[in-house]
Amino acid sequence: MTSFIDYLIGGVSNGAVIALMAIALVLIWRATRVVNFAQVGQAMFTTFVALTVQTLTGSWALALVVAMVAGAILGVIVQFLVLRPMRRADTSGAIIATFGVLIALQAAVGMIWGGDAQAYPQPFDNAGVVAFGRIWPISVYDFVVIGVTILLVIALSLLFTRTSIGLAMRASAFNPEVARLSGVRVSRVLTFGWALAGVVGAVAGVLVAPSSTVSPTTFDILLVFAFTAAVIGGLDSLVGAVALGVFAGLVISLVSGLSNSGNAPVVALVLLALSLITKPDGVFGHHKARAV
Amino acid sequence: MTSLLRFPGARLVSHAAFVIIIWFLVMRLNDSVDPLANYYIALVAMYATAMFGMVILVGLSGQVSLGNGALMAVGGYVFAVTSLHWQTVPILGVPWNGWWSMVFAAVGGIVVGLLIGGIAARLRGPYLAGLTLGLAVGVPAIANRFPELLGGESGLMLTVPYPEGGYAPVEEEVFVDSSADTLSGDASTMAVPSADAAVSPDDMLTMDNFPTTDASAAVPSVDASVIDPGATDMSGVDLSGTGDLIDASFIIERWQAGLAITVACIAAFIALNLVRGRQGRVWRAVRDDSVAAAVAGISPAKAKVSAFAVSSLFAALAGAVFAQILSYVGPGAFGLGLSLSLLVGVVLGGRSSLLGAVIGGLLLVWLPEFVLSLSEKGGWGDQITNNAPNLIYGLLVVLVVLLAPGGIVGSVQMLIAKVTRRAPKGV
Amino acid sequence: MRYVLPLTDPVLSTRSICVTLSGLRILDDVSIGIPKGTVTGLIGPNGAGKTTVFNVISGFVKPDSGEIRVDGRKLKHIHPHRLTELGIARTLQGVGLFPSLTALENVMLGGSSRVKSGIIAQALAMPWTDTEQADLRERALAIMTELGVESDASRLPGELPYPIQKRVALARALVSDPKILLLDEPAGGISAGDMADLARLIMSWVPKRTVLLVEHHMELVMKVCDLIWVLDAGKVIAAGTPEVVRQDPAVLAAYLGQEGAA
Repeated sequence: MTSFIDYLIGGVSNGAVIALMAIALVLIWRATRVVNFAQVGQAMFTTFVALTVQTLTGSWALALVVAMVAGAILGVIVQFLVLRPMRRADTSGAIIATFGVLIALQAAVGMIWGGDAQAYPQPFDNAGVVAFGRIWPISVYDFVVIGVTILLVIALSLLFTRTSIGLAMRASAFNPEVARLSGVRVSRVLTFGWALAGVVGAVAGVLVAPSSTVSPTTFDILLVFAFTAAVIGGLDSLVGAVALGVFAGLVISLVSGLSNSGNAPVVALVLLALSLITKPDGVFGHHKARAV
Repeated sequence: MTSLLRFPGARLVSHAAFVIIIWFLVMRLNDSVDPLANYYIALVAMYATAMFGMVILVGLSGQVSLGNGALMAVGGYVFAVTSLHWQTVPILGVPWNGWWSMVFAAVGGIVVGLLIGGIAARLRGPYLAGLTLGLAVGVPAIANRFPELLGGESGLMLTVPYPEGGYAPVEEEVFVDSSADTLSGDASTMAVPSADAAVSPDDMLTMDNFPTTDASAAVPSVDASVIDPGATDMSGVDLSGTGDLIDASFIIERWQAGLAITVACIAAFIALNLVRGRQGRVWRAVRDDSVAAAVAGISPAKAKVSAFAVSSLFAALAGAVFAQILSYVGPGAFGLGLSLSLLVGVVLGGRSSLLGAVIGGLLLVWLPEFVLSLSEKGGWGDQITNNAPNLIYGLLVVLVVLLAPGGIVGSVQMLIAKVTRRAPKGV
Repeated sequence: MRYVLPLTDPVLSTRSICVTLSGLRILDDVSIGIPKGTVTGLIGPNGAGKTTVFNVISGFVKPDSGEIRVDGRKLKHIHPHRLTELGIARTLQGVGLFPSLTALENVMLGGSSRVKSGIIAQALAMPWTDTEQADLRERALAIMTELGVESDASRLPGELPYPIQKRVALARALVSDPKILLLDEPAGGISAGDMADLARLIMSWVPKRTVLLVEHHMELVMKVCDLIWVLDAGKVIAAGTPEVVRQDPAVLAAYLGQEGAA
């Protein structure tokens, strides 16, 4: 029983990272109705940028900030060069293009930083916290991860509810035409959404990096988990993405702990398939029927 | 509407004749080149087989799938497991040979394709892509779940193929490199020569097994299959068996390429019949407008599932061929990288064209070689050389989607149409 | 008030159909009948629920309650793609052609319910699949000739003028040789001259076929319909011959009310 609880506790920080990546996917989906499969490629790129900064300066916080800026810039570049010129009719094209970006970004990372898995330095104490006479499966670093995630989620919800750009984003997502007519510069708002998603993805990358290694393809599995969480959450819902991201982290931690970590992808697949079978448009999503 | 002959059976005769001529010509070519070229031919044929399925699934029925590498894994593993464990064919009781494993791989592919297609038919664009992405990552990981049967992370070594074209279950003497022990126990990095990444156990997924980089390693399979004794213990293959020695004149790469060509031609025949007949129109109709298709009396769900089943059949056949080319199956060989390279190939070649699939296959094998030759001239570092092909693929995919959605074949068709001032055939 | 006309021989009828979509009552107790061999119109102001009636009949929308009868038999589960097997064909608002298929290929697909060979026979290009397609092709060409669009057979829909596209869509509906044709705004976006042709065409199908027509162009409706049902806000408010409906104060009020609002 203790081990069960330990695995659950240990899964929270993993879940936080998955939640962040899921948020990044949801932000872009809400803004442009595209699932950005390149998101983990962008995150991997910015994580390597962070690694370089950290190696040079030794500052974890500076590395995080630089990664966030790089994430925003990369997001804007991808949206400008790839998604904006896309023809609306070609829905398959948008999906394929984001995979093209993913392949190219991973190759670029391999070219610049090499294909080998590299260790990302631990910024904080990674040993289990000792309290109440035992060692808990959660470290100071885990608390940092969870804390940063909570801060980011609060910041995002404030952005959406309290600021004019947040209102404009919600309006554009809800009905671009009406938003445009009421004076919202929709295309700018969409670009802002991509930048924001880039920032969130970059944070997720830097946060998860120390607990695994970094290589061009390390984050692929994160994409699957994040997509699973985002889809079960309905792709439209930030709350859903957070809740199911954390939930996915817990499940994966349990499965990895009780059997072995190699089973985690299978579990993600089963979760994804089950949710899509029962709710083809996500649990929190609402499906607009095509007018006949 | 291009068929000139109009008698019952015209399509059968013309398609069969076309495919047989191609088969004959490519086989002649195969017999006249060196083993390395045989190996490339085998890879191209294998890719083409899988990508015929991608044309039907992605191009014609409009379902973007990242999962066809996983479907290839189904075929590869069914082939490997049946050929390792069966002496006779169950139920029928006749002695086993490799063709039976191919048949079972095909059946396995269809069954899994129907299963996944049943789920996929209910899903729209990004949801489907995400599900198939999950397949690409999740299915190879199933091998870890059953290490005894499927060989776990290190995969299964196969003692393929078979002499005299006989395709019999004789365990051939396999050249075991004594230096094998110096390599780590991670067989996936050996049998599929990887680019430059050390696979850490925590890396649940790696794209360094992007099979296009196999070609850049350019080592014909048998010599490349360095066998780790530890891995073979797990897979339960008896390598100490003293089968007949391989006939000196028997070139295994040539035989494998012949197999791959034959399978590709069978797949091409089926694909031609479907694509250039009513079924092709049905798939395109459902892709264009599923409501209008239903009104016309077509079941959109059935059409989508059938596209999945057919593409899965082709993927499984390609997977079985791939297993034989590599003499190995393992999670690394059938990872997300393989799925992505199939998507790359079919998009660049031409999403809706069977010829595009063949061109895509050529591109997947040729580009890494081309880059390698450039890098030798330019003296590039490994880091650049190994990643350049994927960088080019990624950028090309984006460019093609934006500027020429029809890929190479579609663009050439458009050009011809412009020159002859005729409307292009529907894409 | 409920309109139930004493219909002796309705080939198609709905009984007390109710549809609620996202909390809104779209159809409220709709019962209409279409007498065999007639052209029956279904009219009403925008948002009255006309197309929803079509969608219920063709299985795209599942009603909360009520039933559909064809030839007096109650239909249980209606699948859109099985409709042609029941002898019912419909057109879609706009054109709904497949942009990547030629006009002829579009029309041929309308006869899908006649195709008996399965995917394995197709995959092996069995000779009878050729025969089947050749027959279908001949039928399709014959109908396209009837509608005067045979010369556009090998063109893609995008290259054809809108009225021609509309005719191709009609041909696709006709190729399954339906007993009942549901036409959703066949006159939308076509010129007066084409409208006259359309009227002649529709009248030429009866009494062999029965036609149910949703249309905004009152001129066309009044000209071709034997019977008209009027919907407003999801309810049947009037029914009768064109002359009767034209005079009905409720109908006038419904249309004027809409104009007043607009």
